[in-house]
Amino acid sequence: MTEQHGFSRRSVLGTLGVLGAAAATGALARPGRATAQTLGMQETLDAGLKRVFGGRPIKDAGGLVKLDVPLIAENGAVVPVSVEVNSPMTPSNYVKHIYIVADKNRIPIVTRVAFAPEAGQAYMGANIRLGETTDVRAIVEQSDGTLLQAKREVKVTVGGCGG
Amino acid sequence: MRRAATGLRWLPALLIVAGCAVTGSAAPETSSAPTRAIPEARGEIRPLPDGTREALRYAGWPKTDFGRFRTYAYGDSRPEIPVQREAMPAGGPGDPKQGRALFTSRAKGPCTGCHLIPGDDVWPAGNVGPDLSTIADRRLTNEYLYQQIYDARVVFPQTAMPPWGASGAFTPEEIVHLVAFLQTLSGPRPPEKDPDRDPETRTKPVGFGDNLDPTNNPAVLLVEGAEAQWKARGPAGKACADCHAGGADAAMKGVAVRYPRIVPRYGRVMSIEDFLSAHGPETTGTPLAMESEANLNLTMLVKMASNGMPVAIDTESPETRAALARGRAGFYRRVGERNHACADCHTPEKGAGKFLGGRFLGDVTSGLTRHFPTWRTSQNQVWDMRKRMQWCMTPLGMNMLPADAVEYAEIELYLTSFDAGKPMNVPGIRH
Amino acid sequence: MSDIGKVRVRIPSSIKAGDVVRVRTLVIHPMERIERDAQGKIIDKKYNYITKVTVTYLGKTVVSFDTTQSVSENPFFSFAFKATDPGQLKVAFTDTVGGKYEGTADIKFS
Repeated sequence: MTEQHGFSRRSVLGTLGVLGAAAATGALARPGRATAQTLGMQETLDAGLKRVFGGRPIKDAGGLVKLDVPLIAENGAVVPVSVEVNSPMTPSNYVKHIYIVADKNRIPIVTRVAFAPEAGQAYMGANIRLGETTDVRAIVEQSDGTLLQAKREVKVTVGGCGG
Repeated sequence: MRRAATGLRWLPALLIVAGCAVTGSAAPETSSAPTRAIPEARGEIRPLPDGTREALRYAGWPKTDFGRFRTYAYGDSRPEIPVQREAMPAGGPGDPKQGRALFTSRAKGPCTGCHLIPGDDVWPAGNVGPDLSTIADRRLTNEYLYQQIYDARVVFPQTAMPPWGASGAFTPEEIVHLVAFLQTLSGPRPPEKDPDRDPETRTKPVGFGDNLDPTNNPAVLLVEGAEAQWKARGPAGKACADCHAGGADAAMKGVAVRYPRIVPRYGRVMSIEDFLSAHGPETTGTPLAMESEANLNLTMLVKMASNGMPVAIDTESPETRAALARGRAGFYRRVGERNHACADCHTPEKGAGKFLGGRFLGDVTSGLTRHFPTWRTSQNQVWDMRKRMQWCMTPLGMNMLPADAVEYAEIELYLTSFDAGKPMNVPGIRH
Repeated sequence: MSDIGKVRVRIPSSIKAGDVVRVRTLVIHPMERIERDAQGKIIDKKYNYITKVTVTYLGKTVVSFDTTQSVSENPFFSFAFKATDPGQLKVAFTDTVGGKYEGTADIKFS
């Protein structure tokens, strides 16, 4: 095989392995070849979505996913988000994960919530940080692997005499 | 009759002297009375080795010295920035592109803080001032617009518009560019795609929910530390609880609703915060410095004991009436580089109920004090009324006074008069 | 911030067997954000932020949050669980510097 950029194939794989391990422990603050499971990466939205979901199709959730975010956030420090998914939460049909994504954040994958059917309801709420006006998404992963998405724009008010 | 005529004859000379004083004099650096505030809250100005001066303020606050401009200090007898009529400089027309950049620059006004103009990038504009989206259609002369920006008081003596040229905030050249830009703003208005862009149709802020829910307002969790402090022995070997038996909630019930008030022992108006900073060292020996965490937490503890009770400050005694009058004068006093008074933003006749940039302006007549100290989500801190007042005028170009300055206390007294009869509700939660 | 790790867990005052109950929690924590120097370069240091929130009920994990620096300081979380039996609900927080904090609620039926 041809040498590329002075690396042999074996050494590139070796580097990937080390980085992958480091990423899995959360030790990396910068984007790298992280595993899909790692959160807290600084990356573009597209890179993050690709990394976490691969190329899997993400369908519009329609009425199944209720995403509650303010129209206008008075500041980006504390933006309340809540999501409720219409799901029976039975062992054969439940919501496995809800991801909250803020498109323009430096760390766009904000949080991932994992559910057992015993949760009874696929519901989460959290206060998140937004760096600027951005779309906020809830991406829901069902137990059968289906991905559904609801999204809304949140306008973030910055600065001013209000501080 | 003769005496009156003599008085009037002196007036122009006085004005001339005062006018000279503005450009040359140094401001009194702090209120002359001693302060019991933490170092960042004293309003100190320090000289730097290179001869310039910087202000010592809270972490993250600007360090600019605004000593050129008058403050609330009772000893600061400098007048407002003198009204200045100014002709537009001769020379070529300005550059509208530069003008738009200046109009939206956060390093300047931004002018969009008060005035809406077209553009998807204009977020968030305010409506304290008129919408300028089609101002060119009014066919105002360049000279008129120039004077309006340079010093609008020539045209509208009671205006809230800062004297941008007279204060030096904008150079004459910059104002020429602004005028050129404004003259490009003609109709028809582009259709509004988003009702929130225009402050006239924008959704009003909904607040941050239940301020007394400890899973919603971090301040409520933090006050629990103050319960322990109430019982803790200070350096003098005593605790608050030793004199105020029965727990803070019972012992302090009904106390905070009477503040601010003139405290005879100290001969001045005091809020709970002011009082604690003096009372602590004299009793338990604990400093409780103004703006310290201990002071803020104990203040919240004391005020929470009166939650639900109507604010009931004295407004009748002669001394309090005099203090209220001084506080009212402070509320209406124009200060700083922007030449603003509290009244410019917080009275219904001026800015109250409108947006200043993205900020919805509170109305003093509705009562603005009874939720202080408040949690501030944008700061992740508890702010008392004094820190709020210190901050208000800092971006508007005024050096702050010490947090416990009597000038602030008397303005707070005036503000609290509008909370009379309304229920205490501490700690608040705001942006 | 000596109050780091203070937790409050709120449950409804009255719960019946079989209810799906919503719980609110708040924990005092700085959730340190990435800092940059004057040139915009990320300052390399260990940032202290919560990475995991684990909710256990009757000893079983029912909900967990993997969290990042995009979550607010003094973070608020809420979630639901199905109250099948009386017992303990626990919310445990873990941060990047080894901090472990928890709050509990006694689930009783009325």
